[in-house]
Amino acid sequence: MINATAPLLDVRDLTVTINREGRLVTALDKVSFFVNPGEVLGIVGESGAGKSITGAAIIDLLVPPLKRTGGTITLAGERLDQLSPKAMRGVRGGRIGFVFQDPMTSLNPVITIGQQLCDTIQAHLKLGGNQTKKRAHDWLDRVGLPNPDVQFKRYPHQLSGGMRQRVVIALALCADPVLVIADEPTTALDVSVQAHILELLRDLHRESNVSMMLITHDLGVIAKMADRVAVLYAGRVAEIGPVGELFNAPRHPYTRGLIRATPMPSATGEMRLDQIPGAMPGLGAVPPGCAFNPRCFRAEGDCRATIPPLYRQESSAFSCFHPLERVPA
Amino acid sequence: MSASDFLVLNHVSKVYRRNQSLIERLKKSESGGTKAVSDVSLTVRHGETMGLVGESGCGKSTLARLVSGLMAPTSGEISFPPNASGNKSRLQMIFQDPYSSLNGRWTIEDIIAEPIRVHKLRTGSAAIRARVDELLVQVGLSAADAEKYPQEFSGGQRQRICIARALAGEPDFLVLDEPTSALDVSVQAQILNLLRDLQKNLHLTSLFITHNLSVVRIMADRIGVMYLGELVEEATSEELFRKPRHPYTRLLIDAAPDMDTSDRSLHPIAGELPNPAFPPSGCRFHTRCPFAQEICRNTSPPQKATESGGMFRCHFDLDLSDATVFPPAAQVRMA
Repeated sequence: MINATAPLLDVRDLTVTINREGRLVTALDKVSFFVNPGEVLGIVGESGAGKSITGAAIIDLLVPPLKRTGGTITLAGERLDQLSPKAMRGVRGGRIGFVFQDPMTSLNPVITIGQQLCDTIQAHLKLGGNQTKKRAHDWLDRVGLPNPDVQFKRYPHQLSGGMRQRVVIALALCADPVLVIADEPTTALDVSVQAHILELLRDLHRESNVSMMLITHDLGVIAKMADRVAVLYAGRVAEIGPVGELFNAPRHPYTRGLIRATPMPSATGEMRLDQIPGAMPGLGAVPPGCAFNPRCFRAEGDCRATIPPLYRQESSAFSCFHPLERVPA
Repeated sequence: MSASDFLVLNHVSKVYRRNQSLIERLKKSESGGTKAVSDVSLTVRHGETMGLVGESGCGKSTLARLVSGLMAPTSGEISFPPNASGNKSRLQMIFQDPYSSLNGRWTIEDIIAEPIRVHKLRTGSAAIRARVDELLVQVGLSAADAEKYPQEFSGGQRQRICIARALAGEPDFLVLDEPTSALDVSVQAQILNLLRDLQKNLHLTSLFITHNLSVVRIMADRIGVMYLGELVEEATSEELFRKPRHPYTRLLIDAAPDMDTSDRSLHPIAGELPNPAFPPSGCRFHTRCPFAQEICRNTSPPQKATESGGMFRCHFDLDLSDATVFPPAAQVRMA
């Protein structure tokens, strides 16, 4: 049984490297975080920060030359990193559901969506044929597809992007997972459809109380969906904290930089746009010390010499020697 | 056309015809097709940035291509005034993807020098090189970068090169088609600030196309909102956000999640985007509009002018300055 106070997913010092013709490049450097039961953890960062690699590493879907080289992943007391590939197949789609970014490429184009749902259900739950079909129908209905009976026999190309993403969400949730990892679930969708999908995810989360890891680059999505947020930068955790605290009083200069660089009208309707100089370092080009130091206005000598550890404070943690004061961003 | 008008679009339409069968061709029958841009009239004034927003399939990129002359409109006309020297106004375009819009086998110098050579703006290699260096510095790169190749640069730097190339032609008019959509947030802010500075210093007239309302709000003086090929509203940037007149504009503003963590409500627009090849009858937005009435289903709404010089296409004069006037989207969900 899961202890109510223990985290559902506990990731410690997760390290992923890339083998580039014999040279090892660190893509994910000792990333630690946890997800509590029933919680939505947002993971945010720019492209190349390692957010998708984090999601893929947890379910062991890293594609070579990417390779997990260290750290522990514990789901409800069980060490996922020590499971055999065969046992891991049972976890993927079973206890951990996954929603990918592009709904066109994550569905099989030559199998009807009903059959894809039935296959997933049968692979993970011991159900008879009729019960499986009924469950698949129910899920199509639950994710808001009109006329589930008709949709059951349709192929992915016959559905719109938003409808396809609903099917992908049904696939992720149909085997009663304890954790859903959603990697950029709305990035490929238009604004008006995005809000639908987010609302659906939120409703399903409230009904089933499943834990969720929401990976996105969109701070607006994070602000509306997440309970806690982890900010990644160049393969390391920059800051983790409750969503309100993180947005209103960030401690890491990168977090505040990211928030202020996002074009958003302020409360007064006035637009401001503060840029962060430079760009995120590429893989293998991470500077010594804090990865953010060349772009940081608070960087000093120690930032260039040593990697700052993750300072923990009550509910939050940040990796910075010269954190910002707790003042409104 | 008044003196301040720069670019005028007069009832411009573009139909993408589908391939006709042999029989259709022999019968010379009209095959129909997708009306990507439908009866758009628009004026861009001197020194102004006109923003165009809309979701995918609304025809905004088609309109960009029509304006740049990459395609001819099916009907309607697009007119530029001749510039001071009597020549046609020069127009340059900046594209969305800085990875596919630069030739990887050319050095940065070759890329930026090409418009200078084509338009004979400088003569002699020394003068051309000096101009290239000047442009590189202007967009925040260094003269030493001229020797390099595009693949040595990051996405943001490549977009700076694209901007330098566009400026090299000394254009009177700039068309920007989603110039920051492929970039990360922190880099996007750099490019938007650079474009804003250039707008101010060079007095550029431009058409800025994007799907992101916040970006267009920062960049544009006036904004046009497109839906399924039609221009449904047009107003100054300030007025469009303060007092939108078309329900779609209001819903689009509310649909994008902001960063307020105290109000976590989401505001989806009911239904799905219809297939642009088969737009709904009457008002094209009626299938998703919370205010839709019988008239909206049958009659295409007239183009109405606002007192401040804007335009909107709606049968009703709605006051949408307050978002709470809307019936909840759930009632019309999956319409």
